[in-house]
Amino acid sequence: MLGYFLGLVLFPMLSGVLCLVPAFKDDRKRNLFVAAVLGLNFVFVLLSFMQEGAFELLHLTDHLALRFMFDGAGRFFLLLSGLMFLMVGIYSFEYMSHEHNRPRFYLFYLLTLGALNGVCLSGNYMTLYCFFELMSLLSMPLVLHSQTNESIAAAKKYLLYSVFGASLGLGGFFLFTVYGGSTAFVAGGVVADALHHPLQLSSDLLFQRNMLLIGAFLAIVGFGAKAGMMPLHAWLPTAHPVAPACASAVLSGVITKAGVLAILRVVYFLYGSNFLVDTWVQYAWVTLILLTVLVGSTLAYKEKILKKRLAYSSVSQVSYVLFGLAGLNAWSLTGALLHAAAHSMIKDVLFMSAGSIIMHGHTERADRIDGMGRKMPMTFACITVASLGLIGIPPLFGYISKWYLCTGALMTYRNFFSWLGPVVLLISALLTAGYLFTLTINGYLKNETAESDAHEAGALMLLPMVILCALIVICGLAPKLVMQLIEFINTIA
Amino acid sequence: MKYLMLIAIAFPVVWGACLPFLRFEETDRSSRNKYALTGALITSALVFVNVFNFKSNDGFQLIQLTNKMSIVFDIDALSCVFLCMIAVLWPLAVLYAWEYMHHEGRENKFFSFYLMTYGIVIGLACSANLVTFYLLYECLTFATIPLVMHAMDRRAIKAGRKYFMYSIAGAATAFVGIMFLVEYGTSLDFVYGGTLDLVKIGSQQNLILLGYILTFFGFGVKAAVFPFHGWLPSAGVAPTPVTALLHAVAVVKAGVFAIMRVTYYSFGAAFLAGTWAQSIVLGFACFTIVFGSVCAWKQQHLKKRFAYSTISNLSYILLGVGMMCPEGLAAGLAHMLIHGIMKICLFFCVGVVMEKTHREYVPEIEGMGKVMPVTFGCFTIGALSLSGIPLFAGFISKAALGTASVSSGLPLGLVGLCALLISAVLTAAYTFEIVIKAFFPSKGFNTRTLCEFKDPTWQMKTPLIVLSVLMILIGLHGTELMNLLSKIAMNLL
Repeated sequence: MLGYFLGLVLFPMLSGVLCLVPAFKDDRKRNLFVAAVLGLNFVFVLLSFMQEGAFELLHLTDHLALRFMFDGAGRFFLLLSGLMFLMVGIYSFEYMSHEHNRPRFYLFYLLTLGALNGVCLSGNYMTLYCFFELMSLLSMPLVLHSQTNESIAAAKKYLLYSVFGASLGLGGFFLFTVYGGSTAFVAGGVVADALHHPLQLSSDLLFQRNMLLIGAFLAIVGFGAKAGMMPLHAWLPTAHPVAPACASAVLSGVITKAGVLAILRVVYFLYGSNFLVDTWVQYAWVTLILLTVLVGSTLAYKEKILKKRLAYSSVSQVSYVLFGLAGLNAWSLTGALLHAAAHSMIKDVLFMSAGSIIMHGHTERADRIDGMGRKMPMTFACITVASLGLIGIPPLFGYISKWYLCTGALMTYRNFFSWLGPVVLLISALLTAGYLFTLTINGYLKNETAESDAHEAGALMLLPMVILCALIVICGLAPKLVMQLIEFINTIA
Repeated sequence: MKYLMLIAIAFPVVWGACLPFLRFEETDRSSRNKYALTGALITSALVFVNVFNFKSNDGFQLIQLTNKMSIVFDIDALSCVFLCMIAVLWPLAVLYAWEYMHHEGRENKFFSFYLMTYGIVIGLACSANLVTFYLLYECLTFATIPLVMHAMDRRAIKAGRKYFMYSIAGAATAFVGIMFLVEYGTSLDFVYGGTLDLVKIGSQQNLILLGYILTFFGFGVKAAVFPFHGWLPSAGVAPTPVTALLHAVAVVKAGVFAIMRVTYYSFGAAFLAGTWAQSIVLGFACFTIVFGSVCAWKQQHLKKRFAYSTISNLSYILLGVGMMCPEGLAAGLAHMLIHGIMKICLFFCVGVVMEKTHREYVPEIEGMGKVMPVTFGCFTIGALSLSGIPLFAGFISKAALGTASVSSGLPLGLVGLCALLISAVLTAAYTFEIVIKAFFPSKGFNTRTLCEFKDPTWQMKTPLIVLSVLMILIGLHGTELMNLLSKIAMNLL
């Protein structure tokens, strides 16, 4: 297992550092090297499917250990991030050719991948927090890559939000270590059964229970910052427009999912769904989520800057995933994880397309793309497929997850959330259609504006987009493929 | 063995006092520097000999003043912690001062007082009763005033005067508190658990608590507790070796050490726990933590920024101490050590920038990471550590403090936790602002304007690298350290 840990965490990081050696000054050589590293990483991810179990790497102190584990949840997110980093990596070779300081970009790209893999492999709260912080710090230079004043300010904002979120998560950690016991992740949670029913508790135990609930809420809000959950969502629309498209793609497609995974770990592997079900934590959480879904979609609908629109869209869509997590049962959780996968693929395609439009269509605005579809047919075809998926049109991948999410909500809640949830999701789906379809319609059907010199993106940029679109279709037609990967949920919820 | 302790105290004082009589030419830098470093190294060696041979209750009475008062030196476990810290840091600071003091001038005077201070601080750590402690505490003030006023311009003299006023007033206040101990205690010796005579106190508990509060704020002046912190940022006019070693470690931690002594060894934690006095201590510590961080964040002058950061971090220690339980004391001790290492490293880095480039403000360091990679590399490690990122030393003590404040079960413990977390975010903000500025200058910045600057010579680099390595080592493996400290805090050594 140590070998896999080294392969998945240290190998990408060290390779990232290697990008700086003079031999890789040449773009071609470096790109080949990066592609090889990303490919190897993906192979490692696949190989790690044969691993199961946990080990402790080292003890920082007696109470703080770096523990790693290989289990279904980690694997699912590993696979997701491995695939997306590979695809976006291939895309970036062409996209980054017009950006400066490329070796540094790949340095932090690979460092981020290593840290992200670390998040996926974390076997206890401390390790999760550790890699979460590292990931935030190491992905920050991706945001400020262009080094304009605007992007530096955005990077600082990103860092501040991430650190604040992680800090809340750390608060949850302290509360859990003192009142909850061991923080190693165990499927189904580790909180004692005695604490589950508030009515039968003595005042001491009630205090303990309340402290644990506060801890859970802190962790959810804190790690939710990465997942773009309100009230800590504001970094997304600031950071995404200024970052290079490939950085936005991984930030939005994958790194937001690290927030989802962190919450999944805390909720299902520490507290346990039975402990949190029907508590104020669940309801407060769902309220925040629904608010985020609605506000995100509305702002996306009104936004004219393309990447900012997509960022708001991420705010809203990742909260779909969280909505499933908050259901605290296997059915909703299925929806959540399916939507996590779907949103990763779709949002990556959308951000990559936005990158091609910026690079080859020379505009950042969604209202300046009239008629561009005729000059960039493939790009707009990808946008169309992805949009249909995100809106949830069958048989594309986004449909099945939404179905699970809505039916899950109807089954889960015994109060007004059971209908409010699905209603909000439907309204948001309409808004999604509103803000994404206009791209397709304007791109294909409207008349061209004058003197547009747009042209189609190169093969290296199109290839990953097309592959992901194909996956969206395939997974939509045969959701069983993904369902097999998330069978582990039966053991945790 | 007893005499060895006395030699360790007297040697640096004598060695330093001899320096002016040896008539080193002001220009004969090399032999004077070697003389000073030799003195510091021999002293450190003596200190370590003492530490490794220490036996409890092996006191040495120097003078009997009255029946109740005498000058006694004795090393106990708590002294060892303090001694080890200064014995490691002092020679490094002297080495750093070799090059740094070149442009400050008057090096004879500087090194003379610098070494004498070393002896006084050792004496302070070895004091076996409050009278001895108080005497050396006053001596420390006097010995360091020439160091603060080193530049001898108006600003420096003003700062020195301010420092003097604050310190003397603080000591006087503490003295009033000590009188309560004379009256109501069995002796002034430091005994774990306190020396209060509960029979004499009877119902006058509040009076004693008032006495404790007076000592707390009296000694708290050196520990820069709000509202008595004002001298510390002003004292930043002193040469960097003074700011780094005295105003981040030796002097300010003498204040913290004094509070540890009176809390756990004179008044006794058991007597104070749960009283209004504890609430006041914790309340002021919490407020100072946040206050210091906010000020640091707003401050643009490099040295002053870290002076405010010190104010905040000293109160971290006081927060631990104020828990009035062994766990809290252990956490406080850990942060005392680790903050010493982190802050001296950060100050040294800032000092390098000031000495090499004569720039003092945050915006002016733009792009310097490229020309001074070692300096800013070490600075980054210090920043990571100070913000409490796992795998670096700062996290170890922060985790101990967080756990202690939650497990104390006090409402103010939770407030303390919030203060810690808020401060962690601000710390990341004010340190990483510098890191980002240094490594990622904004677009269009001309690096050629910096080409005359470069990393310093080995004398200045060595301390930086040693301290950075220490931070990483402690961060990766703090088990023994933390176990040792918690034993010390429970008086098991």
